[in-house]
Amino acid sequence: MSQNRWLATGNFFTSYRQEQRIFLTHLDRLIFICLLVVLFVWPLCVEVSNKQMLVIDNILIAIVAILGLNILTGFAGLISIGHAAFVGVGAYTVASFSRVLGDSHLLLTHGWPLMILAAGLIGTIMGAFVGLPAFRLKHLYLAIATLSFQMIFQWTINFMTFFNQGQTISVGRVSWFTGQIGRNDHYLFWYYVTLSIVILFSFAVRNLLRTRYGRCLVAVRDNDRAADAMGIHPGFTKVYAFALSGFFAGVAGALHAYLWRGVGYESFTLHQSISYLAMAIVGGLGTLIGSFFGPAAMIMLDLQVENLSQVIGKFLTVTMDLATAFRPLTFGLVIVLFLMFEPRGIANWWRIARSYVKLWPFRY
Amino acid sequence: MIYFLQLVVSGTVVGSIYALSGLGFVLIYKSSRVLNMAHGQIIACGAFITFALTVWAGIPIYLSFIISMIITFFMAMSVERVFLRRLIGEPVISVIMVTIGLMSILDGLIYLTPFGTENFSFPEFLPKTPITMGGVSISWTQFVGVIITFMLIAGFSWFFKKSTLGISMRAVSDDQLASMSIGVSIPKVFGLAWAAAGFSAAAAGGIIGNITGLNFDTLVAFGIIVFPVVILGGLDSIFGAIVAGIIMGLIQQFAAGYLDGHWGLNGTANVLPYIILLIILLFKPHGLFGTHEIERV
Repeated sequence: MSQNRWLATGNFFTSYRQEQRIFLTHLDRLIFICLLVVLFVWPLCVEVSNKQMLVIDNILIAIVAILGLNILTGFAGLISIGHAAFVGVGAYTVASFSRVLGDSHLLLTHGWPLMILAAGLIGTIMGAFVGLPAFRLKHLYLAIATLSFQMIFQWTINFMTFFNQGQTISVGRVSWFTGQIGRNDHYLFWYYVTLSIVILFSFAVRNLLRTRYGRCLVAVRDNDRAADAMGIHPGFTKVYAFALSGFFAGVAGALHAYLWRGVGYESFTLHQSISYLAMAIVGGLGTLIGSFFGPAAMIMLDLQVENLSQVIGKFLTVTMDLATAFRPLTFGLVIVLFLMFEPRGIANWWRIARSYVKLWPFRY
Repeated sequence: MIYFLQLVVSGTVVGSIYALSGLGFVLIYKSSRVLNMAHGQIIACGAFITFALTVWAGIPIYLSFIISMIITFFMAMSVERVFLRRLIGEPVISVIMVTIGLMSILDGLIYLTPFGTENFSFPEFLPKTPITMGGVSISWTQFVGVIITFMLIAGFSWFFKKSTLGISMRAVSDDQLASMSIGVSIPKVFGLAWAAAGFSAAAAGGIIGNITGLNFDTLVAFGIIVFPVVILGGLDSIFGAIVAGIIMGLIQQFAAGYLDGHWGLNGTANVLPYIILLIILLFKPHGLFGTHEIERV
């Protein structure tokens, strides 16, 4: 059987293994490699200000966090109203090392990949711990458990002197083979680090869903009794989902700590948890591609809202910062509107656009 | 001993307000299985409407209290009509997310008003000297607040036990199909549950506003603290919410009174409910009075 490996036309599958391939054709693979090259090369060609780079880095970090939230909420069907707290656990892991060892200790500056990994592991442990009620309970109660974790986390940070009572704990500049990363290269450096992690993790998630360790999550989401009958332990699977999502969140938190060169309490509040949920929904729950669109869309929207409220603030003579009002308003509206009119999120638009391009010039 | 009794009294005051806010929360959950994350915002709306009517419009406080309850009654009803009606039959996640979105929207709307950033306090309309009995004192505002709370709770209990509408609401929470077949309109009951929840939330908001003053964060915190309360009482038990509310109030006051300042602890009243919540979820997830229908998975 000679298959055309470049185009999907006329190809058929004789095994599930073939169907489960990540890249169906060489063309897909080529496009993907081109995309990667572009992603890695463009900052060298285009002049970007630090401010713009910071936004892009933030989006990438949010993507790491949302990949985790998508595993939990999208694939395993468990709502987490405490994802920011899990991210915070990662960030505060780095912060507590900095607190104990001093903010420019060798471990923090040279061993940052180790720190990121450690933050992920602590996140995993916390995730598994919060997920423990899953052995007895179903989704509604689990959502409340994550909410209470969020509140306990906020209290712990705010009241413990070890965590500087929520004030910023600084983290030193890191070093690379070329020496210490200076002020000008800082954002570019973390762009590359975060981008690599995003690519690595996306492949991890994509591959996870091809194995039984990922499919068991979906099975438990769709029908936990049927999953039980097939030999999947639903309680254990849910704890496992929490642990996985905790790992992603922990890594995102460590990246956040390094990027901002400090950890403060405001980045990990209940509001942040809600905006993570908003990102996941807007992107499209249960889709990998949605994990990229959601954070990008929401963070860009956030910037636009800030600009808009500055423009409006010039016309109206109000003393208050209009952005504090408009931000939750738009966030809420976006969540509600997406849920009511496009529950499958931006990922669905992407799917429609893709199939349109693929079939062009035919309509179907 | 007097210190202990004083804590019991203030715990009961706080607890009865928790009971009232928990009541509204349970009402919605019981009839439509929706976790209403926006409850704190509705409480805040009730408090602000009462304040606006009393101070800015100059209406006597008892009248504005009732008017604000009626306004939130219809507000909550329309919220159900606009946002939640079309989500009947959707997965649980979507429904919870819509209430989270609602919470965000209400947050934004309140930040647009002066209430979002500034603090206000109600004018004093009751005698300032507290009632003192054997060394234990309680202010008039708190006393009246507790009286109103218990009257409202009694009213709600009567409504559910005796009135036709209340009985139909209980029927719907018990078995939707069966109640539909005997002619109960389910959407109407859902709307009414939200409306009743808004009604009780406005009452709670008005009372809290009078006791602690109007601060948006404080008021919204009541919407989060209802979670430990209703989990302790059992998510679908109105009686449980009332008992658990008072227990939670007592626990918080005892924590503030006995734990804070010792062993370097501080502000334990804000965290203890959530620790209790996690423990209850692990060991007795249906709470004190909830039905044991949680499936073991």
